[in-house]
Amino acid sequence: MIYVNDLRKEFKKTIKEPGLKGSVKALFKPKNEIIKAVDGISFHVEKGEMLGFIGPNGAGKSTVIKMLTGILTPTSGTCEINGHIPQKNRQEYVKEIGVVFGQRTQLWWDLALRETYSVLKEIYDVPDAEFKKRMVFLNEVLELESFITSPVRTLSLGQRMRADIAASLLHNPKVLFLDEPTIGLDVVVKDNIRNAIQKINEEEGTTVILTTHDLADIELLCNRIVMIDKGKKVFDGSVSQLKHDFGQMRELQYELISIKDLKKLNYNEDLKKNEEDISMSNEGALVTVRFNCDAVSVEEMLSYTLSKVHVKDINLKDADIEEIIRRIYRQEVSMDEV
Amino acid sequence: MRRMLRLHRIFVAQYMKNLMEYKVDFLTGAISFLLGQVVQIAFIGIIFSQIPTLVGWDFNEILFIYGFSLIPKGIDHLLFDNLWSVGYFIVRKGDFDKYLTRPINSLFYVIAEKFCVDAFGELFIGIVLIVYSAIKLRLTITWYMIPLFFVAVIFATLIYTSIKIATSAISFWTKASGHITHMFYMTNDFSKYPTTIYNKFVRTFITYVIPFAFTAFYPASYFLSGENPLFCIGGTVVSSVVLFVISVCIWNMGIKAYESAGS
Repeated sequence: MIYVNDLRKEFKKTIKEPGLKGSVKALFKPKNEIIKAVDGISFHVEKGEMLGFIGPNGAGKSTVIKMLTGILTPTSGTCEINGHIPQKNRQEYVKEIGVVFGQRTQLWWDLALRETYSVLKEIYDVPDAEFKKRMVFLNEVLELESFITSPVRTLSLGQRMRADIAASLLHNPKVLFLDEPTIGLDVVVKDNIRNAIQKINEEEGTTVILTTHDLADIELLCNRIVMIDKGKKVFDGSVSQLKHDFGQMRELQYELISIKDLKKLNYNEDLKKNEEDISMSNEGALVTVRFNCDAVSVEEMLSYTLSKVHVKDINLKDADIEEIIRRIYRQEVSMDEV
Repeated sequence: MRRMLRLHRIFVAQYMKNLMEYKVDFLTGAISFLLGQVVQIAFIGIIFSQIPTLVGWDFNEILFIYGFSLIPKGIDHLLFDNLWSVGYFIVRKGDFDKYLTRPINSLFYVIAEKFCVDAFGELFIGIVLIVYSAIKLRLTITWYMIPLFFVAVIFATLIYTSIKIATSAISFWTKASGHITHMFYMTNDFSKYPTTIYNKFVRTFITYVIPFAFTAFYPASYFLSGENPLFCIGGTVVSSVVLFVISVCIWNMGIKAYESAGS
């Protein structure tokens, strides 16, 4: 359905003097610096799949989405969606996709929402009967009724996001691109939007590609993750695979009976492991030890702990996905600094 | 094409609804525009109170040329005003994204989105001046001059629009080009007077480089004298079509170079 092959996008950053003179000068004699925003990304997505794109700020997520939606022209590499190359025959292609940019509305600022949808109906040439059916469906999943007569500029962020998502689905697209659809929203609206996305994916088999910083979005919606950093793909697989591959970090938490025992504990020295593999912190008698279970076995950790101190309560936790991702991001950063 | 017209009508209707919401803004715009025009016409009046003719053109003839220049400018202003925003901020802020994710021609979409009613002031004054000066001059009007008038106006408008398309498309490379559009656009002031009052450089420039002379002086001089229709009207058609083709090419190349903005 979606094939992306060795996609690259380089931006020429023009060093430009200000003002009219500067623009004219930059037009004729540009001084450039090349930034690789997307550096050779390949992946493919099946029909009906929900793919989550994650990565730190500036990783190139939005740039990939913008190339897939035909807004940007790749420097090299190809992407093919549903048999279309987005940049070629753009107008035919965009009929089959829906696009939402969470940061920026695509609706008309001054139009009432209802009017907006009737303009979009004309733009996408949606037949009357189809349009009515569609509005009923969207109304039901996104609860637009209460603000459908208000102009877009008066909508709250949560309402606007729902309005934008509804607008992107009006023409029943085969692929839905969502760039940070839950950014800045409260918990209830987030839930609402996630449910809507899920429902649309289930009922209509819409392929969904979304970028987000909210990992709950990923865990609740996506069966697959593509993680990118500095324009390169660093992970591609399911959430459970991510946990399996990167989730060696475990968390051991217990409460000491006597706080004096704290001094007896020295994981790094006694087990001969560095800070990367074991780190300890405490809040009074409550001790948290994070460790890499590839480097130290759970058994070793437990027996060491119990041999040194008396504990009241003990529990061992799997690393959550957020923790894993934090680690991956950090690792990339530290690798680069060396 | 029919779909485009229908869409355009819808956009205009929506725009008119908006207008009702921003009445004060609209009225201020219209009044400031009217004042500007009155000052310019008074200025022409002052000049002619001192001199009987300007290189062979008298007051009423100058008024005719001036009035003619306002009509294509007004139509361009009425229908194609949003192009200014492209150069000033749409591209720079990355808002051009939305024009690329809809299944309509991006140039058409940008243009259709705005409808600038202030321009009715320009059109109104232009028509008043033309009618007034034509009566004063007792112009002989032959039947075929009427269709030619419309042809001249349509293609003269296209000159304005093409220049705006080409210069605003520069922003796809430079991020902002509003000032460039402004610079080129302002040379249209030269076209409100007979080109014969300028030196050779300016004359050549506004005839062959930025053919603003074809938006007013040349076609108007044909209607005044009935002479040289091939150059005066034909020139308008040819130069506007050439310019339009070039500007659309620049626009399409620009879209490929468009870089959006970070989010």
